[in-house]
Amino acid sequence: MTQPIPWLDGPLWPYLALLLFAVLPTEIWRWLAVAFARRIDADSPALEWVRCVATALLAGVVAKLIVSPPGALAAIPGALRVGALAVTLAIMAYDRRRVMFAVLAGEATLIGGGLLLV
Amino acid sequence: MTVSADWTSTRVALAGLRDALSFPAWAVGFGLVGIGSLARDVGYSVDLAVLSTILVWAGPSQVIFFASIAAGAAWSAIAIAIGFASLRFLPMTVAILPLLRRPGQGVWEQLFLAHFVAVTAWSEGLRRLPHVPDNQRVPYFLGFAGTCMTVSSIGTFSGYYLVGALPIPFAAGLLCLTPIFFLASLSAGIRHRGDVAAMALGLLLAPLCDRFIGGGFDLIVAGVIGGSIAFVIGRRAAKPA
Repeated sequence: MTQPIPWLDGPLWPYLALLLFAVLPTEIWRWLAVAFARRIDADSPALEWVRCVATALLAGVVAKLIVSPPGALAAIPGALRVGALAVTLAIMAYDRRRVMFAVLAGEATLIGGGLLLV
Repeated sequence: MTVSADWTSTRVALAGLRDALSFPAWAVGFGLVGIGSLARDVGYSVDLAVLSTILVWAGPSQVIFFASIAAGAAWSAIAIAIGFASLRFLPMTVAILPLLRRPGQGVWEQLFLAHFVAVTAWSEGLRRLPHVPDNQRVPYFLGFAGTCMTVSSIGTFSGYYLVGALPIPFAAGLLCLTPIFFLASLSAGIRHRGDVAAMALGLLLAPLCDRFIGGGFDLIVAGVIGGSIAFVIGRRAAKPA
């Protein structure tokens, strides 16, 4: 668990942390887009690279949540967690428009397996 | 739903609300249920969880925030990872703003509109806005995106309380909603081989980096290495052979 920064700690710390380390680094790009909208080429190679890094980063977040899971998810065997992701991926590979179905099928695998095993 | 140029703003906003409730708002709201569960898991309050949905309005940023705190990452590492994960909003916002431009529009209105840019509102907006008459786009977009945000706030709120009240397999299901939903929406957005490579490399490198790089910087390293390799692969694939 990450500890609060000592000299900023207090009852309002979680809100301050949210503003500084989550809202600011997210919102800044929307602001910059407003400031430079007319001068940025949305198809430039630099932005394509950014897109690739963001995709890899998000996939990385998914992998980390599955490999070192939070709370109750840790009670589910690792093979079942990976299996649920595999079911979702397989459905998406078959038909990319079935987002809701893919999510529900992955969830059903995880919860169903959990009910049988845990 | 077709919007007519002579409708009042309220009626247009309601059309946006109706379109959002036809599916997109539920998809986002569903995805953000897991955020409430994650926030509770690190011991933060329910209002902070809901506030994160309204103010951050980006599922990935919120997940990195709560999951990294749980993992004990450094604050600087959390901010950098979130910054990288949100960089995509720059080109996204640049792409959608021209559709929402209207005469006499001030910077504040643009900043306000830009805040609603997130994966679903953006992709649906790009698809639907061109069919809406120019003068009706801002109320339509606000009705649409505002509904997505409201449903998601309710989702986050529910997730916070559900995770503690449910039997373990169901609580695990709630916590797993976020990664499963991300994976599905990442796959839905794939355009070429570079995107596939970025996804695959991210999935493989992050657990590896997690083992060898400390302080929470593992995610950034995995993203930059995986993304750069994927970028090269994507460029090669785009070139005519």
